[in-house]
Amino acid sequence: MDFTLSPEHRALRRMIREFAENEVRPIAMEIDREHRVPIEVMRALGKTGLLGVCFPQEYGGMGAGEMGYCLLMEELNQASTSVATNVGAHIGIGAMAIYLDGNEEQKRKYLTPLARGEKFAAFGLTEPGAGSDAAAIRTRAVREGDSWILDGGKVFITNGGYADIITVLAVTDPALGARGGITAFIVETDWEGFKVAREEDKMGIRGTSTAELVFEGVRVPHENVLGKVGEGFVTFMKSLDMGRLTLGAACIGGTQMALEQAVRWARTRKQFGVELAHKQTIQWMIADIATELEALRSLVYRAAWLVDTGQPFTQLAAMCKLYGSDVASRAINMVVQIHGGLGISRDFPVECGFRDARIAEIYEGTNEVQRIVIASNIFREHGIRIRP
Amino acid sequence: MRIIVILGRVLDPSGIIVKGKAGRIFVNREEYILQPADRCALEAALRLKDAMGCEVVVLPRTLMPDDDVLRQALARGADRAVYLQGEGPGEMDVGGMTPVLVAAIERLGGGDLVLTGAVTLDTGQGQLGPRLAGALGWPQILEAWQVNVMNDAVRAVQQRNGSYVTVEAHLPAVVTLRSGSLKLRYPDGVRLINVYRGVGEIAEALMAWNVTDLVAEDVLHPQLDHRGRDFPPDRERGVRVEGTPVEAAQAVAKALRQRVRQ
Amino acid sequence: MEGSSFLDLLMAQQEEVSGGEEVAGGGGIWVVADVADGAVVPVTLEALGAARTLADSLGAYVYAVLLGDGVRDMAQVLYQVGADSVRVAEDAGLADFALEPYLRVLSDLFKTESPEVVLCGDTPQGRELAPRLAQELGGGLIEGVVALSLDEATRTVRGTVPIYGGMYFEVVACPEARPQFLTLQPGAFPSPFLDTYRTGEPKPITVEPTSPAVRVIGKAEDFEPPELPLAQAPLIVAVGRQVGDLDAARQLAQALGARLAGDRGARDAGWIATSQVVDVRGVVVAPEVYIAIGVRGDTFHNAAIEEADFIVAIHPDADAAIFEVADLCVTARPEEVLPPLLEALAA
Repeated sequence: MDFTLSPEHRALRRMIREFAENEVRPIAMEIDREHRVPIEVMRALGKTGLLGVCFPQEYGGMGAGEMGYCLLMEELNQASTSVATNVGAHIGIGAMAIYLDGNEEQKRKYLTPLARGEKFAAFGLTEPGAGSDAAAIRTRAVREGDSWILDGGKVFITNGGYADIITVLAVTDPALGARGGITAFIVETDWEGFKVAREEDKMGIRGTSTAELVFEGVRVPHENVLGKVGEGFVTFMKSLDMGRLTLGAACIGGTQMALEQAVRWARTRKQFGVELAHKQTIQWMIADIATELEALRSLVYRAAWLVDTGQPFTQLAAMCKLYGSDVASRAINMVVQIHGGLGISRDFPVECGFRDARIAEIYEGTNEVQRIVIASNIFREHGIRIRP
Repeated sequence: MRIIVILGRVLDPSGIIVKGKAGRIFVNREEYILQPADRCALEAALRLKDAMGCEVVVLPRTLMPDDDVLRQALARGADRAVYLQGEGPGEMDVGGMTPVLVAAIERLGGGDLVLTGAVTLDTGQGQLGPRLAGALGWPQILEAWQVNVMNDAVRAVQQRNGSYVTVEAHLPAVVTLRSGSLKLRYPDGVRLINVYRGVGEIAEALMAWNVTDLVAEDVLHPQLDHRGRDFPPDRERGVRVEGTPVEAAQAVAKALRQRVRQ
Repeated sequence: MEGSSFLDLLMAQQEEVSGGEEVAGGGGIWVVADVADGAVVPVTLEALGAARTLADSLGAYVYAVLLGDGVRDMAQVLYQVGADSVRVAEDAGLADFALEPYLRVLSDLFKTESPEVVLCGDTPQGRELAPRLAQELGGGLIEGVVALSLDEATRTVRGTVPIYGGMYFEVVACPEARPQFLTLQPGAFPSPFLDTYRTGEPKPITVEPTSPAVRVIGKAEDFEPPELPLAQAPLIVAVGRQVGDLDAARQLAQALGARLAGDRGARDAGWIATSQVVDVRGVVVAPEVYIAIGVRGDTFHNAAIEEADFIVAIHPDADAAIFEVADLCVTARPEEVLPPLLEALAA
């Protein structure tokens, strides 16, 4: 079992780390304070080709696989969770859906500019009445000649405020529901009828756009149906599976950041005449974070290897997301504690990390859903089909 | 037009701890970075390539155990790179390395401009650029902030006597770039993956030559040798300066003059 | 003595130096002089002091070369610090340093004289000239040495070179190639004793006119050097609430080519921007030299300068926490120290 990264992945990691240090870290607190999306950083990332890290080179990507994508999320998240979230929504669900289920023309027309970072992507699924219960969406798409007319709305769409291309899930046959009644469409945001209604004012990841979108009679050409009519649910499940894994990778970065801040503080801060590092309680806290970090790392890298070698990965991907978000939350909570009163000071990055970490347990499929997925897979192997 | 860039690497000093009392150097984190001043030289070459469409060929500053430095350069847009294999002069022995590089440049078919960093981060040697200029018989412009080419001449911004001046020399010429003068661009992702995977056209852009094919054995004889290592006295904090403010000022000035390069 | 004056006595005591002239082509320790603002620069004198020490051990002579236009009188100080012989090359074309004209004179000279060792100052001139001379004459070159020692048996000079700016030092030598060229770091070697009784008659060298290959076109009016992020700045002058004379602090930064920064107090007083605050919550710095003026130094500030190589602190309160981390501590009002400091640095 060879655990070393390939030369290209090592070189890739070094490149991303340099970018994160020089371009992302300096603006991390600023974008949180100003509640703005660092579009200039997204463009700079696009120029390097990193926004297409996992897509094949023939479609404008880098061809570095899922492992490359994990490295990207891990290193970016160390510098800023907000930036990593923008990137994750663009690559992991927005562009990914087109990569997984798009036909040749769609890949050339849409995936290529997304992979090159010339355009930005988002994924439009969630609605006020449809969060975990994704099948309960009501946005409607009605066939009219060679187009579909899209009516409805979406909420909590990451990148929604600035994306050029959004993969939207809509109901095409209300009677069939999830099995055969939902279709995925590639929608261009400069089309008539599309509107960004408002932006969420959030506790954390304030450097991201979390938008409410409105579709009023948006005409979508039939060739923009992603995959087959009625099979949108399958598309969405596949995309989210991939996205889950990389969220776990992002959590590696968040945990790493938390650990470094904890160590730095423990080395510096003196109480009762000695540095905190000499106190066993602090040592145990740090040992625990470090151990969980290594466990998470192994889990995520192995899942990435499964993807890159074409093996089934759904179970592990769900575990990556579940465990990663839990580890990152525990870690950042512990770091705030170690910093004492200064842990809640807005002058320190740990406070921002604390607010940023919370969403990981919720989006991309709540941790509760992940547990259901994991348990279902286990019981299915033993002959029982769990009813949700 | 061909620009030849000479790139070196150096151990990242932030991974090194020196224990003067024990007389030892501990490398906590063995990570190599491109020589900071050489990065500026590479960026200068790539900017000229963007502007004029010339060829950029990269050579290594010294004999290195691997070709990573060259791959990094190719990933950022260099057209070709040559890895030099074999035993020869050590890192500090610029005089020993010069004939090897001159021979490599000749084997490439010459060039119009040689760019490299003004000084190395670790050994503090700035002799490579001028030595090459002397060996090639070309003009030299040292410690430049900026480089431009127009017609058959190279123009550069230098700092002389505290102010910035533009200087000019005929091509071919050697120019060395100051550390911090230009920010090196990020690699192109696709080129990076392909050059490290060893696939595609870019993999063929990386060549390897044996030093023994370039120069005779006796020329490879090193010029310098190491006689030992020394350590600075342990840092003495809290040294109180006595005397009047004027006397204190003199003491501070003396300490500063020793540490700040004029 | 009947009829002789005190002056006559003095004249009789003056030593006319005439060493080395007879031994042409016979090695010797040579120093190439650097001239600036109408005088020989200090590092040239330091190099001559070092040359004298080497020469005495080797039983060799010390030669100095002075190039310029109207510089002949400067030769005297070279004798005074130990040169046995001074060669002077004077020509309008040598008035300011230019590589090819100086190189021509020196390489012709050294081809005839075959020095054993050539010392230069590690100055802009030295950095241009020494490598070219070494390359042309087939010599070895060690740049930026801070100490010299001698392997007498092999007549080889060992140079101590700072690595990573002085983190540690490597001792290097050039056992075979000759001449051995070394450039000396200014201020690293002691200022030699000036023996005012030592005088000499400098020997002129014929100068072959040579054109420089690089010409100055004009001032680079529009050029602005790119600014490094504060976290990477090698020299920092930081101000705090007790800076006293903010203008003088700014002048100090400019004189040293240092970045201006400060602590939270200075930011709150409106003297610096938030991006210039040195603090673990702001910017962590790692300069070679950090000068804290009127900075009291709380935990957060002091933790942010842990990686600085050399810290000078000036503060009126002897108990200020900054003195716990500073290398050089000056307990005084900064407004009283800064003006004489600026003066001393300008000298």
